[in-house]
Amino acid sequence: MRLRAFFLSAVILSGAIPAMAHHSFTAEFDESKPVKMTGTVTKVEWQNPHIWFFVDVKGDDGRVTNWGFAGGAPGQLMRRGIPRDSIKPGMTVIVEGFRAKDGSNNASGGKVTFPDGRSVFTAGSEDQVPKAK
Amino acid sequence: MRKLFASVNVKDQALERPVKRAKLARILWLSLPVCGVFLAALALGSLGWTPENVYGQSSAAAGKEIPRTADGKPDFNGIYEWPKALSGEMCKCSATIFDKTRFPPLKPGGEPFFEPRTGDPRHDEPRDFCMPAGFPAGMLSANALQISQTKNYMVIVHEFQRMTRIIPLDGRPHREGLEPTYYGDSVGHWEGDTLVVDTTEFKRWQLDDYFYTNPKEYRMHSDAFHTIERMRWKDPTTVAYQITIDDPKIFTTSWSQDFEMKAKPDWDKAGLYEYVCEENNRCPGGKCQGQ
Repeated sequence: MRLRAFFLSAVILSGAIPAMAHHSFTAEFDESKPVKMTGTVTKVEWQNPHIWFFVDVKGDDGRVTNWGFAGGAPGQLMRRGIPRDSIKPGMTVIVEGFRAKDGSNNASGGKVTFPDGRSVFTAGSEDQVPKAK
Repeated sequence: MRKLFASVNVKDQALERPVKRAKLARILWLSLPVCGVFLAALALGSLGWTPENVYGQSSAAAGKEIPRTADGKPDFNGIYEWPKALSGEMCKCSATIFDKTRFPPLKPGGEPFFEPRTGDPRHDEPRDFCMPAGFPAGMLSANALQISQTKNYMVIVHEFQRMTRIIPLDGRPHREGLEPTYYGDSVGHWEGDTLVVDTTEFKRWQLDDYFYTNPKEYRMHSDAFHTIERMRWKDPTTVAYQITIDDPKIFTTSWSQDFEMKAKPDWDKAGLYEYVCEENNRCPGGKCQGQ
């Protein structure tokens, strides 16, 4: 049931830029570089100030690259009804976000979609989220 | 009735009807004000003039329905949603920000309200390096906060950065000789059912999170910053929360903004979650660390 509220948030807020709690979005991520990747979760760090999860993504050339994605603060997510085991290693996910400003293989990961179509909103903001430009 | 009248002589019976009519008239006369008040209440109610919007607080808040301590003071003990603005611009962030339409003119020749950008991320956004939000920005962050209140102290703990404010309520003055601080030196006192918290001794720091929306407008308060917060129960589940900003080095006059905090007793079971920013701050200054 908790996940249901979680998915509803995703429906309402999909397409939104994830707002960060402890720093501005633009301090670390580039709004002009949206990313959408599919891969297998390898590691989850359910820690402050933002959760991070890592995903092995296979490129067109067959090479696998491990990408890191930042979400909201654990407390914000848990109070919203998003438990820490929402994303687990081994899951196949589609992640949408914006690439890190430094060009590294890191990005914000505001929206995660599972193969069965369920979506999870992992960003830090609750109800004051601007629409993506 | 017949038996009763049987004991009354003819003369008395003649007097009975005028006495009854007089009693009836007196009852009707005395009930007129009650009827009037009832009809007036109906009329005002139909116009939307309820005690709540006429006096600015609900009848519940004016009575005994708000939480109160054993000594009769309003009881703010509990867990709350962060203060939300009643009006104004939304932030491109998850925090509440101040409404720029409330800002008075800037003081000519005063300190800059917007901190210039230098390109150094440690200067341009210290929060990205886990530096404190300070007050009032930390108070307005989009996390839960918890209030613990005794006769002599109120302690406000905000989940964001575990901001902790210890506010004496015993009438003591501000401490003297403090170095300027991020969260200031607070003292509180009661004005009726309103808790008034006066805070001074700030260092120059961010006013709010507006820089999330426009990095070029990083609003700063000065070291002359002085705030007055007023808290009162608006209704049994809502705390009216007002912040008055007095910053004579930046603004020509003081100004205020009203917020509301919703009590969230259902959040009490989980309580506040830990928030140690340094634990896993992976991309400080836009430079992400290795995996």
